Amino acid sequence: MPAIEVSHLTKEYRLGAIQGLKQTLLNTAARLTGKEVQERPLFKALDDVSFSIEQGEVVGIIGHNGAGKSTLLKMLARISTPTSGSVKVNGRIAPLIEVGAGFVPDFTGRENVYLNGSILGMSKKEIDKKFDEIVDFAEMAEFIDTPVKRYSSGMQVKLAFAVATSIESEILIVDEVLAVGDLAFQRKCFDRMEELIRDQNRTVLIVSHNIRQIERLCHRTLLLDHGRVIADGTPSTVCDEFYALSNAAIAMSHAKTHARRGRLEAVKGFELLGIDLLDDNDVKVDEVVTGSDFAVALRVDCATEFRGVIPGFGVHTTDFFYLTTHSSESSRSTFNLPVGESTITCRIKHLPLLPGLYQLRVGISDGAGAALLYGENLCQLRVLSPENSPTPASMRDGIFLLDASWSRQSKSAAEEIHESADVLR
Amino acid sequence: MLTIAKNLYDYRELMATLAWKNVTLRYKQAYLGIAWAILKPVMLMLIFTLVKSFVGIDSGDIPYPILVFAALMPWTFFQESTSEGVTSVVGNTALIKKIYFPREIFPITSVLTKLVELGINFVILAGLMVWYQMMPTIYILWVPLIIAYTILAALTIAFVGAAINVYYRDVGAALPVMLSLLMYASPVIYPLQLVKDKLLTQQAAGEWSDTLYTLYTLNPLAGIIDAFQSVVLRGTPPDLNAMIPGAIMIVILLPLSYLYFKRAESYFADVI
Repeated sequence: MPAIEVSHLTKEYRLGAIQGLKQTLLNTAARLTGKEVQERPLFKALDDVSFSIEQGEVVGIIGHNGAGKSTLLKMLARISTPTSGSVKVNGRIAPLIEVGAGFVPDFTGRENVYLNGSILGMSKKEIDKKFDEIVDFAEMAEFIDTPVKRYSSGMQVKLAFAVATSIESEILIVDEVLAVGDLAFQRKCFDRMEELIRDQNRTVLIVSHNIRQIERLCHRTLLLDHGRVIADGTPSTVCDEFYALSNAAIAMSHAKTHARRGRLEAVKGFELLGIDLLDDNDVKVDEVVTGSDFAVALRVDCATEFRGVIPGFGVHTTDFFYLTTHSSESSRSTFNLPVGESTITCRIKHLPLLPGLYQLRVGISDGAGAALLYGENLCQLRVLSPENSPTPASMRDGIFLLDASWSRQSKSAAEEIHESADVLR
Repeated sequence: MLTIAKNLYDYRELMATLAWKNVTLRYKQAYLGIAWAILKPVMLMLIFTLVKSFVGIDSGDIPYPILVFAALMPWTFFQESTSEGVTSVVGNTALIKKIYFPREIFPITSVLTKLVELGINFVILAGLMVWYQMMPTIYILWVPLIIAYTILAALTIAFVGAAINVYYRDVGAALPVMLSLLMYASPVIYPLQLVKDKLLTQQAAGEWSDTLYTLYTLNPLAGIIDAFQSVVLRGTPPDLNAMIPGAIMIVILLPLSYLYFKRAESYFADVI
């Protein structure tokens, strides 16, 4: 029996404010006289969504803002009712839609733990039993009898998270709650989540914009876009699709704001015409294979002569995690650029990036170290697995390729027999 | 019916906790604390007693101050639990949008909260009874039933009012006005006996008198207040004739009010 079954779920909202008395009367009059009624327009937050989740599955839900993620969670948690379609949930649900909902500022930490616990569906006995554990986890022992209004916001969230995750339920719904507290506490929260997921075999639904977290925690990922499920599968493939979608959206918004690509700043008289990716035969390509040789060519146009120019480029992920940066400074080579168009090429041997989607950034400075041009997110670098064979699962977990090999050393014959016996046993 | 009761039983701890929250929260950081709960009925009692000394209201054998206090107890309880109940859903927006539990818990909890304050007023009433040297009789055992009936009357308005208030906040604004009007239509300042004498005995409104009296007792508070005074102060059983019209109305309206609330409930999170 699936833990959660959603079939043809649709949720519509009316746009605009609730009508006042005048409009309601006018509409009623119009209806009575058979005239056309001016209805407020509908917005489909969820559009015919169907999926089912088995007991013990950990499912991530991703999508851009307004894709319907939170609406979906609200339907699952019974906070809101579907316009059509059905949601079946087997088991007790603990919604961590927003930690600390129902915290009362005037109450002490202790009182709030009891209040919040019973709001989330715990009995007093249960809270009594877990109270020390909660306080310990939140590192709040010292302040537990102080009113929550005197807490810092970080302290409040820590306490709220500790209460929320101590509920014993078959199904856990988590909406963006992992990004709480300082780094050390975030780490602790993450460990707590992993513990909840792995040890207790619960069904967990996570909504997050932190794609790395989703990839790490989940067995399966749903990608929502404008209220529809557009991808459902292993986290790596779905996340790639989401990255592609986000990049497209970024490119679109850049096109709209008339910036040609990415964020690009250049001095007067210096223009970046384009970035080309070339394979080892100097043929323009869109995609590069892991471990192959390739080149990045920067085409620039100069209005005046520039001397001693140092070009550089870097690779980053969609969420601006800088992976590598390389400039000609490291090989102590500078370039003189004459008036007109010129191309600077950087050749890379054995591309050490694992398959996935990356972005390029480019910076060019003059000899004195002042920037002539700098831009991020300028060009997409899609890295494929060798010979288009499907990516081995192990290759998904990471970013860069190690130049490594495996071997086995034979010991003396006696030891080897012993060892194989061990294996058999 | 049974499922509703079971549902409420399942959430009894939550209701108790929320009621405890409301009570503690109200008097937190107040030096006099929960003593404030008695302020309203005691003040009103003093004012009405003052007014009575000009106007002259026949209170029978019972001293007027304690009679009016015994009327103010169920009245204040009804009035405050109704108005708190009506605003309870909107007042808990944060919870409504984040966590699911049956929404009727909010109005019910408001009533429970006021029950605590009613309990404190009983202490004052007992003090007044000692002062006037009145002995409670066996009929005082009616009190729990009368209060239960008052709760049902308050919930009848609270359910439907709370649901409409989510869509149109007008209800929350209009209700206090309506309720203070209702106070004059209830035997708070004057005893029910006066109305009875005028309409039933003297037939003051001619042939309409009996109908008018039924109309008057359609207000459940008429029966409730009179019954409360009878069983506590007069030592007589409640006048059931004065309670029947109101009770019939509650029996019909409470289920409708509840059903309306339950139907509207699923959209609270979207509209609120």
